[in-house]
Amino acid sequence: MILEIDNIELYFKKKLILNGIYLKIETGEITGILGSNGCGKSCLLNIIFGNLKPKYKLVRINSKPILEPLYKTKLVSYLPQYNFISKYIKLKTAFKLYKVNWEVFTKHFETLSIYKNTKFGLLSGGEQRIIEIYLILKTSGHIVLLDEPFNGVAPLHVEKIKNLIKLEKNQKCIILTDHRYSEVIDVCNKLYLIKNGCTKLINNLTELEDYKYLNSGTLT
Amino acid sequence: MQQLLSILIFYRPLVLWSLGINTMLLFFKIEPVIILIVKVFLVFFLWYITNETTAKRKLTFYKNLGISTFKLFSILYLIDLFLSIPFLLILREFI
Repeated sequence: MILEIDNIELYFKKKLILNGIYLKIETGEITGILGSNGCGKSCLLNIIFGNLKPKYKLVRINSKPILEPLYKTKLVSYLPQYNFISKYIKLKTAFKLYKVNWEVFTKHFETLSIYKNTKFGLLSGGEQRIIEIYLILKTSGHIVLLDEPFNGVAPLHVEKIKNLIKLEKNQKCIILTDHRYSEVIDVCNKLYLIKNGCTKLINNLTELEDYKYLNSGTLT
Repeated sequence: MQQLLSILIFYRPLVLWSLGINTMLLFFKIEPVIILIVKVFLVFFLWYITNETTAKRKLTFYKNLGISTFKLFSILYLIDLFLSIPFLLILREFI
């Protein structure tokens, strides 16, 4: 599968947030999107998912334009920055609805195995995040959008999540954005930087310093 | 089936509110048809409140299952209709 996002123009009132966006993501790739605060990374993921309607957009899957919001095609799953699972839903129900196997999950995260009948809201912030990331990664959608997946997660679990993402990339197109740039660089095959509303494909990591995303000397 | 089940979960906390509204309006001798029309406005109100507050974030859970906001609230109304009609008809016999 090849997902292309092109010609996006997004305004908030009269302020131009995104223009000149082009992304190409293929199955087997993990694409990272970097950018400073407020540059429009989350907006871009929301636009791809279909949550946010820009002035213009063009989403193509295998060169075929998709005119309806992408989530209606059931091809995409989206992890937003915020908790998207209701705090009253039991974990076993959430796993059932998303058709994800609880037993396999507990093999990866044994410490959470006791929570099968627990309501989502009773878990800690980090545990909630792990559950959400796992559900989004393992659900049947072929396109996975991850907005700040490592935020609030303990370092030990970050490694597990990175391995899970790498495992899933063989069947899926994965787009990931996070401020923990070292994790993003480590896990991604392809990097884009959003600067002045435009995407720039990063071929060499030193370009991140050239574009003033990182301080010079950070990568050495 | 998965979609219907998730909409039922969304509807679950609203069941008692719905039955309470049915009972209250019927107590004031309002016709069941009018009550069902009032429910349409209440569903619109719920949609508006959800869209204007942080509750909107929880809609992502349903969108990940392929359920649009319109589909969620319209099926919610149909489920409510399905439960309310027999409830109103039975209750009317006692009031």
